Amino acid sequence: MAASIDTLDTVRALSQEGYKYGFVTDIEADEAPPGLSEETIRFISVKKEEPEWLLEWRLAAFRAWQKMTPPNWAKLNLTPIDYQAASYYSAPKRNTGPRSLEEVDPELLRTYEKLGIPLREREALAGVAVDAVFDSISVATTFKEQLAELGIIFCSFGEAVREHPDLVRKYLGTVVPQNDNFFAALNSAVFSDGSFAYVPPGVRCPMELSTYFRINAAKTGQFERTLLIADKGAYVSYLEGCTAPQRDENQLHAAVVELIAHDDAQIKYSTVQNWYPGDAEGKGGIYNFVTKRGACRGDRAKISWTQVETGSAITWKYPSCVLEGDHSVGEFYSVAITNNRQQADTGTKMIHIGKGTRSTIVSKGISAGRGQNTYRGLVRVQPRAVGARNHTQCDSLLIGERCGAHTVPYIEIRNPTARVEHEATTSKISDDQLFYCRQRGLSAEDAVSLIVNGFCKEVLKELPMEFAVEAQKLLAVSLEGSVG
Amino acid sequence: MSAVVDFPVKTEARPYIDTARGNIGEPDWLAQHRRRALARFAEQGFPSRRGEAWRYLDLRALEAKPLPPTSSLGPASRANLDTIGFPGSAHRLVLVDGRFSPELSALSELPAGVWFGSTRAAIEARPDLVEAAVEALSQQRDQPFASLNAASFSDGFVLDIAPGVALDEPIEILHLASGEVSASFHTRNLARVGADSRVRLIETFTGTGRYWRNNVLALRLADRAALDRVVMVEEAEDALHLAIFDAVLGRAARLTSFALLLGGETVRHEAVVHSEGEGAFCGLYGAFLASHHQQTNIVTTVDHAAERGETREVFKGVAAGRAHGAFQGRITVRPGAQKVDAHMLSRNLLIGRRAAIDTKPELEIFADDVKCSHGAAVGDLDEAALFYLLARGIPREQARRILIEAFIREAVEIVEDAALRERLLARLARRLAVLEE
Repeated sequence: MAASIDTLDTVRALSQEGYKYGFVTDIEADEAPPGLSEETIRFISVKKEEPEWLLEWRLAAFRAWQKMTPPNWAKLNLTPIDYQAASYYSAPKRNTGPRSLEEVDPELLRTYEKLGIPLREREALAGVAVDAVFDSISVATTFKEQLAELGIIFCSFGEAVREHPDLVRKYLGTVVPQNDNFFAALNSAVFSDGSFAYVPPGVRCPMELSTYFRINAAKTGQFERTLLIADKGAYVSYLEGCTAPQRDENQLHAAVVELIAHDDAQIKYSTVQNWYPGDAEGKGGIYNFVTKRGACRGDRAKISWTQVETGSAITWKYPSCVLEGDHSVGEFYSVAITNNRQQADTGTKMIHIGKGTRSTIVSKGISAGRGQNTYRGLVRVQPRAVGARNHTQCDSLLIGERCGAHTVPYIEIRNPTARVEHEATTSKISDDQLFYCRQRGLSAEDAVSLIVNGFCKEVLKELPMEFAVEAQKLLAVSLEGSVG
Repeated sequence: MSAVVDFPVKTEARPYIDTARGNIGEPDWLAQHRRRALARFAEQGFPSRRGEAWRYLDLRALEAKPLPPTSSLGPASRANLDTIGFPGSAHRLVLVDGRFSPELSALSELPAGVWFGSTRAAIEARPDLVEAAVEALSQQRDQPFASLNAASFSDGFVLDIAPGVALDEPIEILHLASGEVSASFHTRNLARVGADSRVRLIETFTGTGRYWRNNVLALRLADRAALDRVVMVEEAEDALHLAIFDAVLGRAARLTSFALLLGGETVRHEAVVHSEGEGAFCGLYGAFLASHHQQTNIVTTVDHAAERGETREVFKGVAAGRAHGAFQGRITVRPGAQKVDAHMLSRNLLIGRRAAIDTKPELEIFADDVKCSHGAAVGDLDEAALFYLLARGIPREQARRILIEAFIREAVEIVEDAALRERLLARLARRLAVLEE
């Protein structure tokens, strides 16, 4: 039973370990007063110098949102959120818009450095274009010129609205409509900024596009909006990573991500999410309510979601694929870790509409401490989806006796030629496994790390190199030595 | 007299409020139970498909054309009784249109310590048992029809077995519908098995006409008690069949349940199992064959509150024609219920171009040292198997039937009694013959 005692110790040790990225950057913010009304939305729209149509679009979303109630079907235990107490706009004071890194507030740069995202270094070494989002406004975009040569547009959402209004107008809200759900409607009404990328026909984006999100100013909700379009035969890989400073108050994040893949296009969207999860008692931490959805509009299009979720107090997130084009492909690979009092209700939806559409779901949930981890997934095969295929595998690993692991798959089949399989298992790291490893000289810590990495391998191998390293580090930090 | 109600009533519940009056001459405690249950139902109304528990059942037809209970009785007909029931059954209780039929029943003498009779008779003779039956499911939020049942039940069966009694002969219950009255039949039943006792239950639901059968059965298994239940549902084409059993298992108790669902326009077979004693075993098995416009739902909830519990669930479904079949299963392991071993499997064949299958096998685990898994599959017949048969000169149509039969047969194999198994298979074959693909 030494193993389980070790486990408890590890978990305890883990929970006592402070949040490495917990600090607050002291920058004056240009903030909207707390509260949400049509006035707030007009304020945001004016601040961002938006065209009339976008304001109308926001207001339509707001009116829809007012009639909606927060969803309560997820296995989440949270105190109701006071939407009138939050402020819905905050921008770094210097709003003239820096043109280069030199113009960026050094305070900001230092913040990123603490986070391990040295922009310059990345620019030089990693070949990654970083659209860094600080609170609500983009402050630096790199590698833009190289991308522009290929006709690739990669910029902040605000800039896209100004520079490429036709593209934005054509695609915005076509995957996630304004009234899709409570949080998507809220986002549509008050979204501050985000990223926009368009890859023209036949172009293979030569580098991983990347965004780092931060939540900073107190009581500021973060409402990112990402819109990614891969035109016919295009390919793009997009990385998203997040950390946030330590706060005692729950912070709301309601992002919307829309992906559109035309004929033969491929989009790979990878997320490593490490927001502040709250302390051992569950105090503080980010509330993450995200709507992510990709539409395979064209034939043979492919959208692949990979996520490693280690942070947030609450995760409510279901990256989905709408497989409209014939022979289009959807993939979802996920690792979700909950520790202490973290709660995650995450999964995916695969909607098969076109003929010969295929989807794969691999979900790995790890629960430790008092964490609650739920996989919730829908596989739906519409009547027209002849020959659709799906395989789903969701495994849960339990560490400690007070955590929970839940699986809620929905399989809805409307076409007899479909083949759909679902498997799920729940287990713990067995004493035998640990004993075997330790007997061969591995420390308890290394043994757990080895087993957990093996458990997650199927997902981690889907991550781009840059992220795989970070993800493995995160797993180690989250569980290292924890599971003696 | 029209019932005076002083509680809120949902529109769709209204037709059932006036007709749910208490039976004259019933004791006060029961009248009070009925009244409370009616208030619960009136307040909740029909279950919403937006809620999880009733997500896959379409009850609009029932809402549009209500089937309130009636006090008129259909005639008891002896015809076909032996083809419907189990020939030569020693202990057979027959309910016609929701009421006990003494003429059709055959109640031979049972060993000492066994009480077996109609619910109505038990109200006088064994009020303690009736109270236990009526209280079943009364605390569940999403069971409005169980509340309606508690308020309106006309009769049912009650079986009580004292500790240490092993009944070798099975107890058979026939639930018939005469076709003479178009109404809802609410039956409330109880089987209580004492410590170390053992019993087999065989229940058949069948009838003619348009009716709504709403059946609630409470199963109470004491320590080391064993109950084996086999259910055959072959309701009329236009009938609704909503049946639920609520089981509580004591230490090392064994419950096995098998259900073959073949007939009825709308069929919901639901099992709620509370595995409360250490080392209890719960085996839930079944199969459905839905064709034409049928909709069939199997819903199971197994709650492991004690250590070392074991659950096995295997359900197989076939949806043909424009039928809709659904399986919704949930296994919960509560904190501290270590060493639970639970497995759930839902396998389905979708063979109609306009048919639909939904399956939702759910696990909810709050303890770490458990072995839990589930699997689900939906697909058409295996091409290779079909080809194999075609290559041997078997016509396609026949080959398909053979494979469908084999698919369901596998589930029926769980029934140990050979004679009973053959009977179930014969019914299955008859149903397959009229299958619409």
